[in-house]
Amino acid sequence: MSVASRSSRAMEVLRAMLEPRLDARAQEWLALACDECSRLPDRAEVRFPTLISLASRKVPRGALEPSNSAREAARELVPGWNPERWTILDAARAMLVLSRAHLDGPQAVAILDEVFRHADVGELCALHRSLQLLPDNARFAWRAGEGCRSSMGAVYEAAACDTGLPCARFDDLAWRQLVVKALFVGAPVARIHGLDQRLDAELARMVLDLVDERRSAGRGIPPGAWACLGAHGGLRARDSMLRELDRGQAAGRAGAILGLARAGHADLVAGHAAGGESDPLVLAALSSARSARPSQDDYAHLHGL
Amino acid sequence: MRFFDPHIHMTSRTTDDLEAMSKAGVRAIIEPAFWLGQPRTSVGSFIDYWSSLVGWERFRAAQFGVAHYCAMGLNSKEANDEGLAREVLAELPRFAFKEGVVAIGEIGYDEITKAEEKAYQWQLEFAVQHDMVVMVHSPHRDKKNGIRRSIAVAKECGLSMEKLVVDHNNEETVQDVLDAGAWAAFTIYPHTKMGSERMVEIVRQYGPRRIIVDSSADWGVSDPLSVPKTARLMLERGIDPAAVELTTWQNALDAYGQSGQIDMEALLKTPVVDQRQLYHQNSVLRGQAPRVEETVPND
Ligand SMILES: [Zn+2]
Repeated sequence: MSVASRSSRAMEVLRAMLEPRLDARAQEWLALACDECSRLPDRAEVRFPTLISLASRKVPRGALEPSNSAREAARELVPGWNPERWTILDAARAMLVLSRAHLDGPQAVAILDEVFRHADVGELCALHRSLQLLPDNARFAWRAGEGCRSSMGAVYEAAACDTGLPCARFDDLAWRQLVVKALFVGAPVARIHGLDQRLDAELARMVLDLVDERRSAGRGIPPGAWACLGAHGGLRARDSMLRELDRGQAAGRAGAILGLARAGHADLVAGHAAGGESDPLVLAALSSARSARPSQDDYAHLHGL
Repeated sequence: MRFFDPHIHMTSRTTDDLEAMSKAGVRAIIEPAFWLGQPRTSVGSFIDYWSSLVGWERFRAAQFGVAHYCAMGLNSKEANDEGLAREVLAELPRFAFKEGVVAIGEIGYDEITKAEEKAYQWQLEFAVQHDMVVMVHSPHRDKKNGIRRSIAVAKECGLSMEKLVVDHNNEETVQDVLDAGAWAAFTIYPHTKMGSERMVEIVRQYGPRRIIVDSSADWGVSDPLSVPKTARLMLERGIDPAAVELTTWQNALDAYGQSGQIDMEALLKTPVVDQRQLYHQNSVLRGQAPRVEETVPND
């Protein structure tokens, strides 16, 4: 499929998700605004950012709540695209972005920079969510990295989670920083698309350093930390997870069990199972650790516990 | 009780203030764009300041269960740098329609110069064209004359008076503002000018209609708890509780709610402090456990 037709297919998917959420007036405004975006000149200018802003005054607030079939269509079209947590406004703004003329041309980065530079929090979220849908989105990797450096969790999640762009386009340094930042801001690592494909020894070291820092400070460790090691942490990771099994809360123990299984320590998992564990969260982790090698998705329900 | 402080410069205040405001029942605030105590030297610093009003400052306030709205504009003091003012006004439309922008403000006069008038008129016309509310900062010197002129020019520009809020009033100016049909806001300054005691007498004399109390707390000596403290004094001195509610909550909501940017339903819910919600980050919480699902106390 050509990149241009992927963008137009993404518009169809968005349109289908928006249709049940917009009344006639909002639909009419959005159609006119998209049409205007499609006729804007090939340079950074003020009208496009204004339309992105105005959308908040024309489109209702609230969650997009896409149907299962719409989510399926999104996932099939763009690897990593999960609109489950999008708002209606995010989707409308993504429509405007995809309608913008010349985003396949050499001015695309400058045109989008102009919008990002003056964006408020809601706009930043929508813009970051839209980047994955654009043609040749490697051009926007630096911009996406800016979002992953944000200390505003909503912006971070929009740039880092439920999108395939970072996994496909970030260099190693940016990627590892993104993953460690998730642990700092309390974002769910399970929703970082491609986490399991891009684990390495350097990331494991960074995460284990963070774990040690947290322990020195007497603070808890997010269960997702144990999803960031794979088989790359060696004995240091093994010992750190055993310590979590010994002293951690239930969610941390469950995360460590999954982590041990991911690192190939079936014997240690079995040993813990024999040791009289009774917490349902940990028992569930033990059972999934014994049936198959756990994936990042197995950490989803541990987030925030 | 719950309070709305419709004029406060949170960018100059600390998280201690936000915590105290939240505890005292301040549910919502408006942060109007103003100067920084000294003039800015480039349009870029206006842009970054405006961005912070719809970004970081809103996020900081939300972490303490305080809904943050703002007003966008070029203030009168900096309007006197005419070259810069032209550049700044050209950027204003980018920010005026962002979520949570409830007014153009604070604008108006400082020394009542020609340059101030030019920027004021430009912004009034912009507000009229886009059907927006205007928050006017009245001058501290030659106040009575400045307020009369602010109202007259706003009328000339076609602004309807229910869309006009004139701030920093006192006993000498309130009648002019009320007679014009505009909203009269009062800034409670500790030690000087308008104190809570004078405010009690103004509400006693003029009634609560179209009267609004605010703190205008900023980088100077000021009190972010002025609104709840004044409300308490009004109640102690026998002002009707309904009048207290109007002047410290409902009137400001009615005035700025005309923007359509205040989600009344969300605001009326019992606020909950959830520092995990919406924007997790580490710059407000430095190692502390996030406060989660604590109901904000009501009195
Ligand atoms: Zn002020």
